[in-house]
Amino acid sequence: MISFADAVSSVNIAKGIMIGGGFIGPCIGMGIVGGSYIQATGRNPEAKLLGQALVFVALVELYALLAFASTFFMLSSK
Amino acid sequence: MMPGVLGKFAASALNVYIAPSGVFHIGSVSISNSILFGWISTLVIVVVFIWVARHITVKPKGGIIQYIEVAADYMVGTIEGAFEEKKRAQKYILYFITLFFFILANNLLGLIPGVGESIKYSGSPLLRPFTADLNATLAMGVITMGLVYGSSVRELGIKNYFKHFFVGSLKNPFYVFLGLIEMITDVTRVISLSLRLFLNISIVGIIVVVFAWLGHVIAPLTATPFYFLDIFDDVLQAFIFVLLGTMYIAIAVNHASEHKEDGLTEEGIPETMNATPDKVSGSA
Repeated sequence: MISFADAVSSVNIAKGIMIGGGFIGPCIGMGIVGGSYIQATGRNPEAKLLGQALVFVALVELYALLAFASTFFMLSSK
Repeated sequence: MMPGVLGKFAASALNVYIAPSGVFHIGSVSISNSILFGWISTLVIVVVFIWVARHITVKPKGGIIQYIEVAADYMVGTIEGAFEEKKRAQKYILYFITLFFFILANNLLGLIPGVGESIKYSGSPLLRPFTADLNATLAMGVITMGLVYGSSVRELGIKNYFKHFFVGSLKNPFYVFLGLIEMITDVTRVISLSLRLFLNISIVGIIVVVFAWLGHVIAPLTATPFYFLDIFDDVLQAFIFVLLGTMYIAIAVNHASEHKEDGLTEEGIPETMNATPDKVSGSA
């Protein structure tokens, strides 16, 4: 059970802000990568670009994971 | 529900392990659970691949042999495609194919029930996926980038290798500054390669655990979609790690032979048009 004092502790707020803020950028980036992939295959359906698109997804994804991993290293609210 | 059977593989409280822990000691060396898992998966890989190599035929008979053949063929095609000359790619294919199957097997074997916190030994999980350990992925990243630097220097020569960081004349301080930043970026590849693999594998595992815990009684229902996400991510990360390592070599090595025959300078300008002294210094 999470008590009220736990729920409003600054560490939990910081974790929420960190995850929210850290995920915004990579989400936009993945959207751009995906949209560009659809556009590219629409213009040139013969091109095999899925592998390269996935590479860039993985490049972008790292920063979201860094934000997520950083929350584990925050001090607990005790 | 079958609490007896399911309870053996499911966690009662949400316990997330983000670091490996020592399981037993050999002499004074502590053997961590991820190392133990790495040894087991190495054994599995060696046995399976020797068996596959003995039983491979011209006409595919199906089974696991076919899948490994297709995967190896696809990876050979991908690695050869990154290099301009096939002959150059042959030197690196063996290392990267080995790396691909090692990472893939380590990732996928981590999905077997029993790996993780369900089987405990002296307070810590007995087995932990080898790639969900920063020590392991850092070792792979250092070895891969060592190969990249070593082969780049061997193919280009040490002078040309350092020269390819600097786009223009060294008399311009702006280009010097850009080159130094480019060098620092090159070193961070070690960290980004290893962190990407480590974080992906460990955090996707954590996501599966979290959704199994949230599902409580219907844990199989809630965790299964994320289990498939885990499989997808495992294959993707093995592919990405190898592809990025190949690209780092290919970028440095292809650069050498880029404008050798077409009579262009490094800036892509025909050599006959070398009018300004700036271009002359760059074309050596």
